[in-house]
Amino acid sequence: MAKRVEFAAGRKKKTDAFDIVNYIVFILIGLIVLVPIWKVVVDSFNAVGVYKFQLFPNEPTLDGYRTIIHTSKLYQPFVNSVVTTILGTLLGLVMSTLGGYVLSQYDMPGRNALAYFLLFTMIFSGGMIPEYLVMKQLGLVNKMWILVVKHGMNVYNLVLMRNFFEGIPGSLFEAAKIDGCSPMGIFFRIVLPLSKAALASIGLMFAVTVWNDYSTVQIYITNRDQVNFQYILRVMVMDGDTPTTAYKVSQSTLYYSAIVCAILPFMLLYPFLQKYFVKGVNVGAVKE
Amino acid sequence: MFLPVLIYVLIVYYWPMLGVRYAFYDYTLKKIEFVGLKHFTKMFSDADFWKAFINTLELSIIKLLITTGTAVIVSVFINEMANLFAKKVLQTVIYLPHFMSWTVTAAIFTLFLSTSSTGFVNETLKNWGWIKESIDFMHETALWRPVYYLVNIWKETGWGTVIFLATLSGINPELYEAADIDGATRLQKIWYVTVPELLNTIIIVLILNLAKVLNLFESVFVMYNNRVFEVSDVISTYIYRKTFMTAIPNYGYSTAVGLFKSIVGCALVLICNRASKKVRGHGII
Repeated sequence: MAKRVEFAAGRKKKTDAFDIVNYIVFILIGLIVLVPIWKVVVDSFNAVGVYKFQLFPNEPTLDGYRTIIHTSKLYQPFVNSVVTTILGTLLGLVMSTLGGYVLSQYDMPGRNALAYFLLFTMIFSGGMIPEYLVMKQLGLVNKMWILVVKHGMNVYNLVLMRNFFEGIPGSLFEAAKIDGCSPMGIFFRIVLPLSKAALASIGLMFAVTVWNDYSTVQIYITNRDQVNFQYILRVMVMDGDTPTTAYKVSQSTLYYSAIVCAILPFMLLYPFLQKYFVKGVNVGAVKE
Repeated sequence: MFLPVLIYVLIVYYWPMLGVRYAFYDYTLKKIEFVGLKHFTKMFSDADFWKAFINTLELSIIKLLITTGTAVIVSVFINEMANLFAKKVLQTVIYLPHFMSWTVTAAIFTLFLSTSSTGFVNETLKNWGWIKESIDFMHETALWRPVYYLVNIWKETGWGTVIFLATLSGINPELYEAADIDGATRLQKIWYVTVPELLNTIIIVLILNLAKVLNLFESVFVMYNNRVFEVSDVISTYIYRKTFMTAIPNYGYSTAVGLFKSIVGCALVLICNRASKKVRGHGII
């Protein structure tokens, strides 16, 4: 990468027409992505709904957010989202590190059988309805824990984790073994500390999946105490089913504030953790 | 140590697989009764089912081609940018929508495209004098699909560039040097060096995604509505409606549709796996 970059920088001494076009294209693409997001943020602070794009709210207010914080039908789903996301991420990480570590042991008998056992689930699935019936038998219908259970395991992420573990030099394990470290000790003292970056990116992938899930909630949960924030957002904006609140707030302010709340956690983390967000896909993409 | 994973996979993935037997049963709240292939005959003679099946293929394949195309174009532009800072900033910005949920995306565009007095698009167009009456983008059969594709482009193009940029950063610089010596212009270098290098990756991306075309669900589920079923109903939403929006659901029938989808999906994965082995030497799975 570095070599190519230096070369690219050295290659273009003068700015030609193409560079100017390129800058214009860059700005256009950036605006196409950012203008909608900026409008959402601005309008969430705007007391009166306007159709125009404004750089800053002309009648600034926090009523939208105040309404969400004080209306239990709106903040309860937010809390549910936070709780399920944290638990789902933790469970997902535990499952993919355990499974990935076992699959990375080349000399283990039955390793291939285990791999096929896992990979088969990527090709064939029971489908929406059999899954629903099983979850019903497990008593998870109408419980927000369904989100944790459903996303607590992801074979693709497990394979990514295994690929990462396979990249750790084997001599480290041998040295530890010679020093009398048990297999469990190797896992906790050597493998996990070395895997912080992989844990961060795969953890983020789990977190994004659980937080953003809407269809699972729509399928499994009818009880309004158990839904997550994505569900409430969809019900409000698309079905026009706004919960009654004690606050006087314009509809559009409330809607846009809800959208901001639904993207807030990741927007806050994104600038700092961007490399981890992107790394996950590159582990899979640049493997060869 | 594998035991938790084993148990988990057995319960969450393999147990439902046993449930596919209900495809051959009448399964309602009152009774479970073996009916053989009844559901399959019913399914194959249901015009709505075929419409959903065709819609699924059309929507996902067109969406795949369009977003891959835009991602390639944007990647080439990013690759040509000499200013590293601008490059980094744009990449950060365009990856952003990928991490927003479909619900959020759909909510944003529903609000922008709404016919109310705060609808961004309609009011702006009226203001410019391009249209007289508000257009109900989300509820118009002729407009739903274009809107769906545009929203997909907005959301997924940026993320799609990740894999192409990874390929581009691996192109041997000597190729460009040789082109320079031969007196190639910028555009010629893009066309004769960059694009051919990308071809292999484009094929791989298409193959990988073709395997998943039937999985189309959430993006449609959050954006469709009663008035545009005709152009937007896909297999998964069809199953959903037949089960959860019906007064007396027959789980057997929806399981049968699901089984059909799983089998076709499975065949697609195996075909694409074959293709992937041919193109890049190793499979998807």
